[in-house]
Formats: sequence, structure tokens, C-alpha cells
Amino acid sequence: MTGFGLRRSTIAMLAPSVGPIAVFVLLPLLLTLWLAFQRWSSQTPFSTATFVGLDNFREIFGAGSVGSDFKRALTNTALYSALSIALILPLSVLFGMLIHQARPRGATLLRTILFATYMVPMIAVALVFSKLYSPTEGPLNQVLGLVGIGRQPWLSSPSSALVSLVILNVWQQVGYFTVLAIAGLTQIPDSVYEAAKIDGARGPRLFVSITLPLLKRTLVFCAVIALINAVQVFEPVALITQGGPVGATNVVTYHIRRVGIERAQGGLGSAMAVTLLLALVVAVSAVFAAVRKEKQR
Amino acid sequence: MSARLPLPTPGRGLVYLATIAIAVAAAFPLAWMILSSLKTPAETMQTPPVWLPASPSLAAYESVADLIAVGRSFLNSALIAGITTAGILVTSLMAGFAFAKYEFRGRNTLFAAMIATMFLPPIVTLIPLYRLVGSIGLDGNLAGVILPNLANAFGIFLMRQFIAGVPNELIEAARLDGASEMRIVFRIVAPAVTPALAALALFAFVYHWNSYLWPLTVLQGRDEAYPIVLSLSRLLSYNRSAINTNLVMAGATLAVLPPLVLFVFLQRFFVKTIVSSGMTG
Repeated sequence: MTGFGLRRSTIAMLAPSVGPIAVFVLLPLLLTLWLAFQRWSSQTPFSTATFVGLDNFREIFGAGSVGSDFKRALTNTALYSALSIALILPLSVLFGMLIHQARPRGATLLRTILFATYMVPMIAVALVFSKLYSPTEGPLNQVLGLVGIGRQPWLSSPSSALVSLVILNVWQQVGYFTVLAIAGLTQIPDSVYEAAKIDGARGPRLFVSITLPLLKRTLVFCAVIALINAVQVFEPVALITQGGPVGATNVVTYHIRRVGIERAQGGLGSAMAVTLLLALVVAVSAVFAAVRKEKQR
Repeated sequence: MSARLPLPTPGRGLVYLATIAIAVAAAFPLAWMILSSLKTPAETMQTPPVWLPASPSLAAYESVADLIAVGRSFLNSALIAGITTAGILVTSLMAGFAFAKYEFRGRNTLFAAMIATMFLPPIVTLIPLYRLVGSIGLDGNLAGVILPNLANAFGIFLMRQFIAGVPNELIEAARLDGASEMRIVFRIVAPAVTPALAALALFAFVYHWNSYLWPLTVLQGRDEAYPIVLSLSRLLSYNRSAINTNLVMAGATLAVLPPLVLFVFLQRFFVKTIVSSGMTG
């Protein structure tokens, strides 16, 4: 099991995956970091890039239109992500408990239907929701009207467009996170509940002192995945809102592609991408730090 | 599995009500999509909206085929998703085997570096990747869509988790019989992790059938290479002038079918794999 033979087979086993990942993920990542400090048109070879120091970062955080657009996109994405996580996590735990613990007849069917939404191409989801949201011809306002809620502008108003995209996102993703929540719930042994019940714990008390703490690792994992999914929102914006109305749905993935590919400002786009990556690293570290701190208490 | 929660009768009723409400909310957009595809253009424009088409018609499906090359788009989608999935299965099996069963220097570091890429949003590398693929002449080309995705970290992670559970005795016995390492991976290990492979196949196929950002960037304007999800967005631009919502919904229904059908057949593997892979920490 040692020596040259094994080393050769190790290389043979790893090369087909490590090779492509190195060339098509790690190399572009390094190039993004490098390009963030260059002026470069993405229509031209990398050799045409010229070093400009921190100019790109000054510009994307500056007072000009480039800066205000990017800062708006970052804020929109942060808001979209926070709202998505705030809705997806409690709903998936609730749905998970419904399916796994209350286990009504049809629980498996419910899980299938919920999970199926995760399989639908985002582009189709975006098309359908653009019709559901139609203020006059859409069924959503009609149903809301039946229960006495007035017409909502949904995607057509700056104040409600981003929230409408969040709802669309929650609809598509909550099934996936429900399955993750169920996976977490199955790892809690019955004996823990039994013991707590003997100690007189009931209902909400069981949830707060048993379910939630034992589900924490699952929830942290879910929050991180939901965050990384949320910053990737692109299709509904590209297809339906184009970032509008008045910049309300201009999210960071859409904005970086528009600047870096469509306007070919590769240096600026890369500086934005690096900023996004740093923001993600900070956010994820903060989540882990918060969990660790709580553990020490 | 925990025991069914003992609930008083009114609680049970509430649970059933919630179950039905959630199922309806989850299924409603898809039902609306299918219903709308069967309506007449006039019906899709009425206020208040018409829920059920008066005389359901498949005319929209025929018109879609006239506007976009549906067959060609489906073939492109199948090629992109199929070849990418096959590549991911092979590369993930091999790497998963090496990370699970070989001892070598730097193993944990290399594995961590691979896994880290799992958490990298594609937009972070999109700009240089677009240029990189263009510089080897693959922009506007299906090969350019496929090539960068033939290996991925999630597949490696999943396979390592499951191959670690394959008994070493099984592998040693095959080595004693003179089997090559490649033969061991594909003839001994692969059959032992079939459910995980099925789950990975479903995940990879659906992900790449549905993917939009990368094909849009690589293929910009090359209609004949468009997968169905890109052709759908072209349908919308027709729609802006003609306002034929039934056409758009027919196209969307067609695009949704393959991943949904695949899911129905493979979902038991998928759910089981998520639950048992320790993916939740």
C-alpha cells in the first residue's frame, strides 16, 4: 500500500476532478482577485490588463453612479438574503416537525410536493410568478381580495418588488430545507424526549429546551446554504424586473454580470466580486462565531 | 424515527388543515402554469383572472414549437445535463475513492480546498471564466457550457462520505485477486454506493438542466445552441409584443417536465442520501 505504484494511482484517481476544479474554479478565483486591481476590458486578453491599485474599489464605493449602483445592489442582496433566511428557517423547521413528528396521513406526499418545487427551473418559476403577481390579471390579488386585502402592486412598485422576489425564493427553496430539517430531527433520539417528559416538560417547553438546541447544527448549516443560494438570485431579475423598478431589485449577481460581462468592465466587475466574497466570508464567520460564543456560555 | 406525537383531537384537525394548506400553496404555481398553458390568449388576459379554461386546448404547445426550436433546445439541454452528469459521476467516484481509501500527504488539505469551492457563488469567478473559455475558442459552443462543470466539489464530498463506509476487506480481496484500482472503483465500489450515485445523478442532472447564468454567458446570442431554459427567455421577448401568456406557460411546462419526472423516479434515493450523508453536520 506504499511506494510509487500507489502514488501513481492516487494521481490517476484525483486528476480528472482536481484538474478541472483547479483550472475552472481556483484559477478563475485567483484571476478575479488579480483583476480587481487592474483596468481590463473583458473583451480583450488578460495581457491587456493594467495595474490601477485600489482605483476599482475606490470607484465601486465612491460617490459616483458606479458606487451608488453597487452599494444599492449590495444592500438589496443583503436584505433579500436576510429576509429569505428569516422566512425559510422557521418555515422549514415547522414543516419538518409537521411531517416528521405530527406525521399526518399524506405526510410523505406533502414532502414530495414541497421538494418538487426545488426541482423546477428558476426560469419557469420566474415566468409563472410574474403572472401570479400581475396586479390586475393575477390570481394572487384576486384571492387576497376575497379575504378583504386590497390590491398589492407586487413587482411593479419599488417598495414591494424585492419582497415579492423573496416570496418566490422561499416558495422554491423551503422544500429542500424542510428535508434538511427532517434529517436533523431524525438525529434527535426519542429517549431525550421521553426523559424530558418524565421531568414534566410539555409542548412549547419541549421545543425550546430539546428540539431547538439539538437542531442547532442543522440550522447553522441551513443558514449558510440559504445565504449562499440567496446571493445567487439572478433569473427573476434578468428576466422580469431587469433590476427595477428604480433599482429596487438590482441584486449583486445581476449587477456584477451587467458590469463585468455586458459592459465589459472586467476590472470593476472583479472588484465587486471580491467585495461580495469578502462580505460572504465575514457573514459566515459571524454566524459560526455567534454559535461558538453561545456554546461557551 | 420518533413516535407519532400524541395530539388531542382538535390538534389533529389543525395538523391536517395545515398539511392541506401547505400542499396547496406549494402546488398552486405549477397548477396555474399548466392551466394557463391550456387557455386561449383572451382567457389569460381577463380581469378578474379565469381559473379554468372553458375549452382546454393544446394549441399553445403547437405554437411554441413554431416559435422556438423546441426539439433542438431539448436536445441541447439533454446534451448539457447528460454529459455533465456522466462526467460528475465518474470524476466524483474516483476522487471520492482516493480521499476515502488512500493515505497520502496533503490529503486533508487538498480535500478542504476542494470542498471550499462548494461554497463559492459562481458569480465570483464568472468574469475570468468567461474570458478563459473564450480564449480556448469554446464560447458560443455547447462544449464551453459543459467543460468547466465536469467535476464538482459536492460530488467528491458525497462520494467520499459513502465510500468511507465500504468495507476495506472488500477492496483488499479484489486487490488480492489482481483487480486494477480502476476496476475496483467501477466494479466493486460503485455497486456498493448505488443509492448515493443515483442521488448525485439526480442532483447533477436537474442542476445543469435548470442552470441559466453560465449558458447565457457562454452562448450569448447563439440561438441554435440554446438549452430549453434559454429558449424560454426568448419566448418571453416574443410575448412582449404578442402577449400570449398561454405560449409562455406551455414552454415553461415543457421545460419543467424532465426534471420533475426524473425527481419522481429517483426521489427516494435523494431524500435517503441527504438524511444519511451527514450533510447537516
